[in-house]
Amino acid sequence: MRSLLRALPVIALAVVQLAPGLGPGAAAAADKLRVVATTTDLKALTEAVGGDLVEVNSLARGNQNPHDLEVRPSLMVKVRRADLLVINGLDLDQWAEVVVQGANNPKVLPGTPGRVDASQGLPVLEVPTTKVDRSMGDVHPMGNPHYTPDPGMAPQITANILAGLARLMPGSRPVFEKNRADFLGRLEQAMSRWQAALAPFKGARIVQYHADFVYLFARFDLVKAGAIEDRPGIPATPGHLARLIQEMKQAQVKLVVVEPWNDVKLAERVAQEAGAKVRVLAPSVGALKEARTYLDTVDYNVRTIADGLR
Amino acid sequence: MRSLVGIGLLSAGVLMSAPVAAQDIEALRQELQQMRKQFDTMKDGYEKAINRLGERIQQIESKPQPAAAAPAPTPPPAASMAQAAPAGPPPLAVSPMDLARPRPPFALYGNRGPGQLLFDMGIAGDFVANFTQRNVDKANAGSFAGQENRFFPREIELSLFGQVDPYARAEVRIEAGEEDSGEIALHLAEANLTLLTLPFNTQLKMGQMRNRFGLLNSFHEHDRPFIETPNVLGWFLGDEGLVERGAELTWVAPLPFFLEALVGVFNGDNEDAFGRGKLTHPLVTGRLRTFFELEEWGAIQLGASVANGETPERHRNTLLGFDAKYKYSPEGWTHPLLTLLGEVIYQDRRINVLGEDTDGDGVPDTPDETRRRKRWGWYAGGEVRPFRTGWQKGLGAGFRYDWTQYPVMRGREWAAGPFISFAPSEFLRFRLGYKHTQRTADRASFSENESSARKVDEILFQATFILGAHPVHPF
Repeated sequence: MRSLLRALPVIALAVVQLAPGLGPGAAAAADKLRVVATTTDLKALTEAVGGDLVEVNSLARGNQNPHDLEVRPSLMVKVRRADLLVINGLDLDQWAEVVVQGANNPKVLPGTPGRVDASQGLPVLEVPTTKVDRSMGDVHPMGNPHYTPDPGMAPQITANILAGLARLMPGSRPVFEKNRADFLGRLEQAMSRWQAALAPFKGARIVQYHADFVYLFARFDLVKAGAIEDRPGIPATPGHLARLIQEMKQAQVKLVVVEPWNDVKLAERVAQEAGAKVRVLAPSVGALKEARTYLDTVDYNVRTIADGLR
Repeated sequence: MRSLVGIGLLSAGVLMSAPVAAQDIEALRQELQQMRKQFDTMKDGYEKAINRLGERIQQIESKPQPAAAAPAPTPPPAASMAQAAPAGPPPLAVSPMDLARPRPPFALYGNRGPGQLLFDMGIAGDFVANFTQRNVDKANAGSFAGQENRFFPREIELSLFGQVDPYARAEVRIEAGEEDSGEIALHLAEANLTLLTLPFNTQLKMGQMRNRFGLLNSFHEHDRPFIETPNVLGWFLGDEGLVERGAELTWVAPLPFFLEALVGVFNGDNEDAFGRGKLTHPLVTGRLRTFFELEEWGAIQLGASVANGETPERHRNTLLGFDAKYKYSPEGWTHPLLTLLGEVIYQDRRINVLGEDTDGDGVPDTPDETRRRKRWGWYAGGEVRPFRTGWQKGLGAGFRYDWTQYPVMRGREWAAGPFISFAPSEFLRFRLGYKHTQRTADRASFSENESSARKVDEILFQATFILGAHPVHPF
């Protein structure tokens, strides 16, 4: 017992050193707005707007499928410290609500100024127009939530993020606006390059594994020609694959794209049967080693699609 | 003469009215001019309103249209992109025409789309079956006591949950299930309110709830990783587990790792462990839970729980619980390859022991007394889901071993059994398992209807489905 009492000051000191907001690095971190984004794409776009004034963490890792993220207490630790939470808003990251509930942080509860719904104002695709149920698979009633791979969505997403950051740091609005304008300037330059790269393939038909790249295809006039998944989130049946291969042959589909966490071997088998190529795309920043930043990720995806369609 | 007078009066009237008419004309002119001005102002107003509407239409049309059929326009240049950031409240662009247009009443409901339901709801159905020996059936001594060799709905649960207002969440769960009498009983499983915006990063949950004691007690049966409740939990917490009415306060420590502390005060309505049922002699619970990311895809959660209250006989009972859960998910997997978990429960309880008739004369020869029962038990189990993708990823195989003393009577039991599972989707799951139980107890125990069941072999089956929304369970 005495040894425990003697050890207490040491333990207390260690806790102070380690605890955020109490240790020596706290002064520098205190000036920064602590932001948590649910995905790495939203993290990258928040960093582009917030610059040095924000410290951004992502709940999902780039190489994790954000549909099926396991709610771990370590995620709650991140959200517990957050001033702002940036969410996808179209039910891609529904698990984030459970993280928030376990984090005991009232600053980021629904309806508070510490929330940014990145999907606000976006033209959402694949919004169901009829009754939906789970016989259709894991459908998203609010529409396809994979809008971040489309660089054309970045202006509106960053506008939403800017509004959220400026709500909490109104004095820094000019800095956020400048950061955003700089980022969009770089994006615009890259956009002309990407359009030129994919211009020869307008109207090309592409089969995807999951509907992760619908917005990206639409942006560059590419056409989705089917999916390896039977229905969203439902593994393919042999019958579905046989039909898909047949349709791919008829439509002369040249490319199958697949996410790194999905069954690449199955995609290869389908492509081989149908006489097409397979390419692994990066659905989010950090999904592949080439996808280090947001612009890198789009750049990699565009180059890979162009290469696959050649 | 009369006519002359008339002409004269008329002439005088005309002559006198000439300046008056001139004045009226002037007034009319001024009025007309004023009306022209007003008209011009109104015209300007309408033109401006029309222009504003036109600009809005143009703005909407010029937004990126990623529809597959339409050519995708390029994003606007950076300068205009930057302007898209809202600098404050948007200008009011409602024209008088907009305001004057008749609108249907209750427009919110008329235009309601998906996601506008004010709370979530879901139904979970959990059916189980048990096949066992005849003597076990007669003695009602299987894992589902009184429901041996039956297929029945164990738990059909309607869940309603969501935000009450910006400050609170609420959850109501109503359950129906087959009783051992064969009848379907409906009861309130949970109904509670959580205050989310309390100071010092605390939350208060109040109402009826499954207590966060140990690892599995807070999970409903259809959400558990095993078909049937581990023996130690059934013996020490009862078949239904700890479901109490009261309040729990949680606090997440401001540390770089996860540490959650919980303290609760309840009536103590659990018949098996507490049951005094009075806030004057409450059941007090506490729990510490921590979590560590061991390696890139491995993680462990550790917990320690305590519950202290009074039994219906007004004796103190203290339960201590220790639990651990480990999951390993390789890179790129959407589910854990390996899950391991276990719990230990230790009891320190006082019980009444009636005097014994040692010489058979019908009169107790030893006095009634109070004795202390320090008993414990544990279980450990796990599941492997070895396939990463395809339909096979829903396949799993697991095993659990149970060992426990009985909380009050003499003796102990152990049980072991493997199981396999298949989940075609996250909303549908089947499990099939085998369980062997061996009991060391008095002859009288586990004996009913002239049958005894000290060795039990069971085949267990479970089918679970989820309709609609279902709250995600953490780790």
